[in-house]
Amino acid sequence: MSPGWPARVATALAAEVHDDFGLARVDVVPGHWADAVRTARDELGCTFFDWLTAVDELHDGYRVVCHLAVPPAGGAPIQVLMIRTLLPRDEPVVASVAGVFAGAGWHEREVSEMFGVVFADGTGGGLLLPPGFVGHPLRKDFVLASRVAAPWPGAKEPGESDASLADPADPAAGAANRSGRRRSRPPGVPEPGDWGPREPGTAKRGVR
Amino acid sequence: MSELPPRSRGVIALVEDSCTSCMLCARECPSWCIHIDSHGVTEVPPEGGRARTTAVLDRFAIDWSLCMYCGICVEVCPFDALEWAPAHAYGESDAGALLHERERLGDWLG
Repeated sequence: MSPGWPARVATALAAEVHDDFGLARVDVVPGHWADAVRTARDELGCTFFDWLTAVDELHDGYRVVCHLAVPPAGGAPIQVLMIRTLLPRDEPVVASVAGVFAGAGWHEREVSEMFGVVFADGTGGGLLLPPGFVGHPLRKDFVLASRVAAPWPGAKEPGESDASLADPADPAAGAANRSGRRRSRPPGVPEPGDWGPREPGTAKRGVR
Repeated sequence: MSELPPRSRGVIALVEDSCTSCMLCARECPSWCIHIDSHGVTEVPPEGGRARTTAVLDRFAIDWSLCMYCGICVEVCPFDALEWAPAHAYGESDAGALLHERERLGDWLG
């Protein structure tokens, strides 16, 4: 980023500017989110809306991130600005910026269905998921059904192969099974029987 | 052609001699795109002592149709057996052909 850009950002947004590997980044409170984006467009010349997304920060909440740029003129280097805000996990509501950048409406609809973030006065509606879809797939607590069903490449121990696991007579597989060691499980994927459909009448196993 | 910027991510290459089949990369991979097969060889060290079992690599494959180039496997490898190579032209017309075995993964080493 060019010298002077962080200072201009700090003055216009009245916030501390961080240098993220050459990218100017500002964190604002949720109440100033839409104002900050509008100020960046009107006073800093960030007229190019690049993207808007969110990050599931687990206990900290949901972080909404917006990337803006000043279109370069006359061979000047491009100036970019990232604005972020952190929403509480139990009530992730923030003002929409679709009124500032009309193109942000699509991004907000995607963030809304993927993370369950509510954009007040936004364009509303989903974007990619089919009607009636339950859950928010980019939340970290969302279970990917295909991962419960698919074999995990990391399940093997050193010295094992797909062939040795399939062959009970194989000495390597036999040794691993005899050792009684608990097999590694992929992170974020429940054990078979803990999640998903099961035979009627069978008990649900303990949830990890 | 302009020079590639720093932190460019091309393709992930395998230094086969450094791989101990420890499975760390396959377990950390968020895309589940690394497939490793190995077998154990038990030998008594020539200087004597307890017999030791080491894993010998039989198969190492990366499915580029799943890989998202996050580089976690490169970061997590304790033996630097995976590294970024600057090349990036390896497109295929068939998704199945994007599963590259260890011979091909070794080709990227400069």
